[in-house]
Amino acid sequence: MRIRSTGRRRALTALAAAAVVATASCGAPGGRSSADAATLSLAVQGAPNSFDPAQLVDGTQSYVWSAVYDSLLMVDNEGELKPNAAESWNHSDDGKTLTLKLRQGMTFSSGDPVTSAAVKATLERTMATPGPNRFRLAAVETVETPDERTIVLRLKEPDGALTHALATTVGVIGDPKTLDTERTALDPVGSGPYVLDDSTVNGSKYVLKKRDDHWNAKAYPFETVEIRVIKDRTATVNALQSGALNAASVEVAHVDRLRSAGFDTKFIEAEAVGTLSLADRDGEVLKPLGDERVRRAINMAFDRDKIVQQLLHGAGEPTRQLFNPKGDAYDPALEKAYSYDPATAKKLLAEAGYADGFAVHMPSLFFTKPFEPTITQSLGEIGIEVTWDPTPPQNSVSAIASEKYGMFVMVEGFNATPVEVQDYLAPDGPKNVFDSTDPELEELLDRVNAEQDPAKAAELYRRINAFTVENAWSAPIFYSGRHWVTGDGVEFLGDGSNTFPTVRAFGVSG
Amino acid sequence: MFLYALRRAATGLVLAVLVTLITYLLLSLSFDDIVRGRLGPAATPESVRAMKTDLGLDRPVLVQYFDWLSHAVRGDFGISYFTSEPVGPAVASRLGVTMSIVVVALIATIVVGVALGVLAATRGGAVDRLAQSASLTGYLLPNLLIAIVLVVVLAINLKLLPATGYTPVTENPARWAASIAIPVIALVVSAVASLTAQVRGSMIDELRRDYVRTLRTRGIRTRSVVLRHALRNAAGPALTVLSFEFIGMLGGALVIETVFALPGFGTYAFDASLQGDVPIIMGVTVFAVLMVVSVNLAVDLVNGWLNPKARVH
Repeated sequence: MRIRSTGRRRALTALAAAAVVATASCGAPGGRSSADAATLSLAVQGAPNSFDPAQLVDGTQSYVWSAVYDSLLMVDNEGELKPNAAESWNHSDDGKTLTLKLRQGMTFSSGDPVTSAAVKATLERTMATPGPNRFRLAAVETVETPDERTIVLRLKEPDGALTHALATTVGVIGDPKTLDTERTALDPVGSGPYVLDDSTVNGSKYVLKKRDDHWNAKAYPFETVEIRVIKDRTATVNALQSGALNAASVEVAHVDRLRSAGFDTKFIEAEAVGTLSLADRDGEVLKPLGDERVRRAINMAFDRDKIVQQLLHGAGEPTRQLFNPKGDAYDPALEKAYSYDPATAKKLLAEAGYADGFAVHMPSLFFTKPFEPTITQSLGEIGIEVTWDPTPPQNSVSAIASEKYGMFVMVEGFNATPVEVQDYLAPDGPKNVFDSTDPELEELLDRVNAEQDPAKAAELYRRINAFTVENAWSAPIFYSGRHWVTGDGVEFLGDGSNTFPTVRAFGVSG
Repeated sequence: MFLYALRRAATGLVLAVLVTLITYLLLSLSFDDIVRGRLGPAATPESVRAMKTDLGLDRPVLVQYFDWLSHAVRGDFGISYFTSEPVGPAVASRLGVTMSIVVVALIATIVVGVALGVLAATRGGAVDRLAQSASLTGYLLPNLLIAIVLVVVLAINLKLLPATGYTPVTENPARWAASIAIPVIALVVSAVASLTAQVRGSMIDELRRDYVRTLRTRGIRTRSVVLRHALRNAAGPALTVLSFEFIGMLGGALVIETVFALPGFGTYAFDASLQGDVPIIMGVTVFAVLMVVSVNLAVDLVNGWLNPKARVH
């Protein structure tokens, strides 16, 4: 049978679907989850990539691998960096040596002890293997293991993001005996609180069973964690209501229906930032962007409140900043900058010599589609004419990295602030496409990398953020939020402070 | 007949080789982008080169293709670029999910469609009008809508059937049947509708033919006239409709798999092409070509068995 999609049928479907949804919201008999409270059944939208430590990817897939592997450090639900597999860590005074001390008595799921040699083997392997995280260890010169529990990282230069990196992808500890075997990619041996069960179906359902012999077993209340890959948002809601799931994030349109069906809901105001990156700050491929006045004018072209209301249906906040509002770099005072003012924007463009505006090409990516008409219109109002170049999904990364586009739209999930500063602003940062630099910024970056005092570092991060806003290095538009829904016995503990998806964000309620 | 089948099978294999070659050549244009996608924003020209060497993508394209082909004919389709899952077993298991839905749907379509069509054509009157309006309604209802209604009623409110997910038949036959029930119904409704209309039409045509009158004058029972003679002649065009329905169901399965979160062939192929997962795309292409070729062959063979005029020598 063909799925017929002529306009009439589509309209019919929409109409009937609306009717069904309307009936469902009053008719569902208190659709509480029937799933056992000892089981966390969580939905994610995409299947995880390889679990090979050198190929791990951030995002919702880390629910699986962060449960199988222990990372050296961790970020707790309040966003604080905490000991994990390493019970302590400290920097030398010059910031060029990081010493970590492993906890005693940790074992891999194979029964072998976790030693400093395993940490060294995993780190050195990640440093030597082409993969998405290798650059996070770029500052590391050598890894030394003076004894079974001590790891000493000697750095080429101080790196303020390294400890946070060790709390995520590059901080995992793999079992050196199996690291280079085939099983590592699909069913790795780790020392984490869970092991993958045989009932796992790759790409569809990941079943994690708790290890009672894990050193921190009591911190993980669920005996079983089931992570199901459900791409379709309606299917997620159906699975919640039929009791197949007891935790998932859903779209704003479904929240009321689920709440009235007896689910707990929690809204995280910001978990990603949508920004028009004005990447070509020296005007190499898009000359006008080299002029600060043009970049400021672009920032004034957007009616951010309206965009949040209409395109995000209120599930977010307007913003002028790139960084997590719960993180160190955020400064509420900066939100006063760049109010919606097309007239002043046009004046600024005229001063910069672009009274008649200019034309720009931007890549049309799968996540930019909903925003394209609004962006075209907003920029059109101040005289900037946008052409969207269709870009196949598998080319998204390379389209942005190609330096073909001076500006482009990004919707980026948050990371820890030190990591984000490095990614967006360091001259070799992966999201600093044109390697932009500035003497003032560079001095701030050097200082924050060497800063050991968290309070002073936080102050520096705020100054770095202020620099990017004042110099209009980007045109952030909105923070997008996420609605979490949990069933009987399950509670979502996060508040947006920790940006790393992990099963630690779920607890037992009641 | 046997030689004919063999010849068709050989043509199918040649077609598979050609299609995969073209697919590979087209994919080879984006190898750099795909490798960059896997390395993420932090990719450097050096790491892209290193990973291309790792994956064997630094060799001439034709060498790569024939290397793939020589492994593929031995059943080794390589491993996914992104998950490292072996492609052959992954495709097989996902095809199992899709086929269990499509095949069950097809059987249900044949049984119900033929029964309704024959009934409508022979009984006429109220039965015919009822069958026709049912068929028209079924044809007009979008299957996605049917799926949504069934999920809300049967899965969410009555909790009789699961709303999402798949249980393999080997694990638990009863739960397997429950997990495919709603998807199958969603697929079957409009297929039954078009098959019923087709069978009814050709049955009426056949029943008006001279040979039917002759058979009747010889005193052959109506039941035998209808089922053994008229239906056999009416089945040809219906079979063609059915083969289109089958190929269409494979496409429709993509939507059904998404709505019910089933780990099927359609979503697997779709996700792989979004990511540019070359080994999966190649594996999926092979299976898809072979499937279409064998369905068409099967239809031709059954057609020949039904109708001696359509036999090829």
